[in-house]
Amino acid sequence: MSDFQANGSLPPPPPQPRSPPHLYGKRREGARVQMLEREIGFLDEELKSLESIPPASRSCKEVAEFVTGNVDPLIPTIKKTRRSWRLWKWFCGACCFDFSRIYCCDCSCDLSMPRCCDCMTCNSCSNPCQSCGIPACRCFPCISSKCFKKWKCSLNGCCCCLPKRLCCPTCSCTRCTCYPKCPNLKNMCSCCNKSCCFPCYYGK
Amino acid sequence: MSVAELKERHLAAAETVNSLKDRLKQKRLLLLDTDVAGYARSQGQTRVSFGPTDLVCCRTLQGHTGKVLFESQVYSLDWTPERNRIVSASQDGRLIVWNALTSQKTHAIKLPCAWVMTCAFSPSGQSVACGGLDSMCSIFNLNSQTDKDGNLPVSRMLSGHKGYVSSCQYVPDEDTHLITASGDQTCVLWDITTGLRTVSINGSNSRMFISGSCDSTVRLWDTRVASRASRTFHGHEGDVNSVKFFPDGYRFGTGSDDGTCRLFDIRTGHQLQEYNQQHVDNEAPHVTSIAFSTSGRLLFAGYTNGDCYVWDTLLAEKIRYAAQFQPVCPVNRLYWTWENFKILTVVGSAVWDCLLMVVPYVQEVGTQTSRSGLLEGIEESTEVGDRFLWKMSVVISPSKFLDFVCPSYGL
Repeated sequence: MSDFQANGSLPPPPPQPRSPPHLYGKRREGARVQMLEREIGFLDEELKSLESIPPASRSCKEVAEFVTGNVDPLIPTIKKTRRSWRLWKWFCGACCFDFSRIYCCDCSCDLSMPRCCDCMTCNSCSNPCQSCGIPACRCFPCISSKCFKKWKCSLNGCCCCLPKRLCCPTCSCTRCTCYPKCPNLKNMCSCCNKSCCFPCYYGK
Repeated sequence: MSVAELKERHLAAAETVNSLKDRLKQKRLLLLDTDVAGYARSQGQTRVSFGPTDLVCCRTLQGHTGKVLFESQVYSLDWTPERNRIVSASQDGRLIVWNALTSQKTHAIKLPCAWVMTCAFSPSGQSVACGGLDSMCSIFNLNSQTDKDGNLPVSRMLSGHKGYVSSCQYVPDEDTHLITASGDQTCVLWDITTGLRTVSINGSNSRMFISGSCDSTVRLWDTRVASRASRTFHGHEGDVNSVKFFPDGYRFGTGSDDGTCRLFDIRTGHQLQEYNQQHVDNEAPHVTSIAFSTSGRLLFAGYTNGDCYVWDTLLAEKIRYAAQFQPVCPVNRLYWTWENFKILTVVGSAVWDCLLMVVPYVQEVGTQTSRSGLLEGIEESTEVGDRFLWKMSVVISPSKFLDFVCPSYGL
């Protein structure tokens, strides 16, 4: 049988099922558009709110005031270098004993000055520090060079304060904040409230 | 509306979003008249200085074990509010509870799923929570009886996330509420007693929390409003790995894969300071975690190369090199097989059989960091010798495609 109909035209194509509408794709696209339009709303709100917010300097001021107004247990509060230096100068001037050279109890190294270079840019363990010119403790770590890892001092005590054995026996404090005091001094030991926590070591 | 019209609307909306974001960025720049360091210097602020005996390591807690170096990393830790105990989580499959004063271990909890990523101590110190690749948050009561094998049983499992749980934290002073963050791009506030998610809590005080994301943003949330973030903070150029509130509660710090830490203001949205190690070769190590000291003056930051630095937050200077740890062993190949739905991770060219993971959890390959993600699908595969090269999209970074080489086991 011929495909041609009697009038010479092609027969209509057989009915075919239509492909289903892309509902999933449409809904997904619609959801994406909705999310973006929602985001546009939020961004507009944020832009408007910027008209009334203060500049960053106000918040920076608040941060600085908060930080400086609160004590931090991790940050030393006493500036050891300057106070110990003044104290040493006083000792050298006032006492008969020459405190400018003290020998560590555990080694024979010569601690010629109690003042340490805590300069953070110390570029070597050289003495004095090349950055600030202050004589450096031999055991003070140099942050920027590899010798930092050898921070553990061969001395038995921090060399930027007095050797351990001269520290306060009352409170066993070996920190710089506790200075051994001659009875002639009026200053209090900073870690115990006695006028002198240590008899004058040198016989006065 | 037809799909074609919707697509047009989509394009137009995307352009509007980009243009608004640019305008916002420009407007914010105009408001950044100074940063914290600039202000502090103008006030004559002097730097913090430490002596050699200040800020020294006083204890090293050792106890997590593992065959492979990176498997034994401690992924997370948390302190009790009294600061006398610590819980640590490692992918050796254990949580360890430590007495921080004596260094003794009080509990070693074997986990149902070894791939733990986060842990937290409850405010009362009675429980610990953890979460990881199993997409669940498990709670252990430290006072419960151990089972016949000597293991502490799980007292509650919080399930519902559709991806890994990367972070969990208890709501302060509430042992019954916990917030989790997940690779399914959601944060959930849980009521532990019921095991149900809840997004509102009773009480008149707003509860804010912040989340950092792999999309480089940080969001501030109000637990009473689940539908949108209160504010979104832009600035970072890489995944945000760590967020911590500043002690005053009005600012927070962040650490990111872009190698920087930043300080943001919650109320204004301003970025107040950037803490950036200058690296000559532009390959700055990523920041993995941060913490502030109680005054906020010190910012501790840990990096992927094992460094830990102390920053002066006011002057934006590094004060001290706090520690150095063994860097993470990189995973640079992933082999997987459909047999028994197991995935083997590989270090170097050798196959280590100690990291079996169940599909669909995939470990991202890369140098120095490892994260997991939910396998979405195989985009394409190419035969390379006797192997197939698969490209897959991963939930954690939708724009990233990770290459994996897998033996042709016969998919």
